[in-house]
Amino acid sequence: MSLLQMRNCDVYYGKAKTLHDISLDVEEGEIVSLIGRNGAGKSTLIKAIIGLMGLERGERLFDGRDVTGLAPEALSRLGIAFVPENRRIFAALNVDENLRIATVMGRTGAWDLRRIYRLFPRLEERKDTPGDALSGGEQQMLAVGRGLLTNPRLLLLDEPTEGLAPLIVQDLVAAMAAINAEGVAILLVEQNLKVPLKLAQRQYVIDNGRIQWHGQTGELLENQEKIEALISL
Amino acid sequence: MSTIVIGLSMGLLLFLLAAGLTLIFGMLRVINFAHGSLYMLGAYCAYQIVQTTGSFWLGLLVAPFLAAAIGALMERVALRPVYARDHVYQLLLTFGFILVIDEAVRLFWGLEYKQIAPPDLFSEPVAILGSQVPTYRLFIIGFGALIAAGLFFMLERSRYGMVIRAASGDPEMVQTLGISVSRIRTFVFAFGSGLAALGGVVAAPLLPIELGMGFSVIIDCFIVVVIGGLGNIRGAVLGALLIGMTRALGYTYAPSWVEFLTFVLLIATLVLRPEGLFSRKGRAA
Repeated sequence: MSLLQMRNCDVYYGKAKTLHDISLDVEEGEIVSLIGRNGAGKSTLIKAIIGLMGLERGERLFDGRDVTGLAPEALSRLGIAFVPENRRIFAALNVDENLRIATVMGRTGAWDLRRIYRLFPRLEERKDTPGDALSGGEQQMLAVGRGLLTNPRLLLLDEPTEGLAPLIVQDLVAAMAAINAEGVAILLVEQNLKVPLKLAQRQYVIDNGRIQWHGQTGELLENQEKIEALISL
Repeated sequence: MSTIVIGLSMGLLLFLLAAGLTLIFGMLRVINFAHGSLYMLGAYCAYQIVQTTGSFWLGLLVAPFLAAAIGALMERVALRPVYARDHVYQLLLTFGFILVIDEAVRLFWGLEYKQIAPPDLFSEPVAILGSQVPTYRLFIIGFGALIAAGLFFMLERSRYGMVIRAASGDPEMVQTLGISVSRIRTFVFAFGSGLAALGGVVAAPLLPIELGMGFSVIIDCFIVVVIGGLGNIRGAVLGALLIGMTRALGYTYAPSWVEFLTFVLLIATLVLRPEGLFSRKGRAA
């Protein structure tokens, strides 16, 4: 049984239909990536998964249960964490508070503040720094740490490597692998194949609001030309 | 000296009101026109409780909770369904609250004004630096400062404050952490309403308790909030003290210029620093 299943979902942005008949699933403990160019509908789909965008048609299942009508806070409590594009760090909170706020609801598990600081030592050094005074890489670590502290079973990562220096991307890739090794499933959104090829077992390619291709990472390599064409600008 | 005491006490009284208004705006992005009506309701409650039990302190304790309950109801029942709509609807709605509350007060207490005396504890003035100062004014200064300190502590150090600061900036993101933002909205609206009523109780021994009292104070309150920076508690304290002192000094030295000075401050702020004199980027406190 899949951990997350999106079945035949249509999503509207205002009056415009932006996602068409999307079906996607993530198995327990798996890394899946969702690849597409700018404006393809990646972020909209992620927001539809976490409940920030409503489904006009279709259903969302989590752990076999129909959770189509649930609000984001309920989905978070079930174990879906959201690490958004542009990180959305709380500017009025310092680093420590940005992490602690994720523990307010008290979903306990393997991840606590100490472990996050061990995973990202840089964050502990900057504990008292206001959220809006961090570098891009630090913000990304903070956003991932914040998501993990809700002790999710599924982590949604929306373009986590965007705009980061190669060395920091390496660190993040290692962190994602470590997080996944703990049994957390990851849905990784990217604009290119670099990180997905390193981490993910399965791939979805989205364009014009439709899933255009999906398959194992090995199959992707066989069709690489076609897929590059779908995601290139 | 007594001018300073009057200025500070006016300032801290204004702060009690402005703090609630600015907290509500920061969290809900709604300018609550009915804030002055809740202040008035607080004063009438204090009057009723003093009439019935003889205790001002009981009024100070009970009236804010009563107003908070009414505020919670207003938010849950009326405001919540219109968040998704244009701001005009929310403004009209809070304007409607004024009419409802005013009419309820008129039905219940009638049109003639009421009065209560300060608690006996404050009946004797004290001499400070050679001038006679009403002790009740000193109480307002101390009490207002205590509430201000408590608010800062709550916002900056407590979990509630942390969630409120985060949700004022990015409510969606707070939701995705499993926290119900609609409950925070209700809490903040109720809390702000309670603060307004607290201001009403504190002001009650100083002023005639009458139907128009909410309206005259809410204008000053809006000015404080704009000068301090919308959604900003530190700004509300400083803005309130600035307006309080301006008014007190104005009444003493240039009584016919008081309104003029107040509005010049407002206009200067809007022209030179429209984000507020004391605002810091992205901060709720």
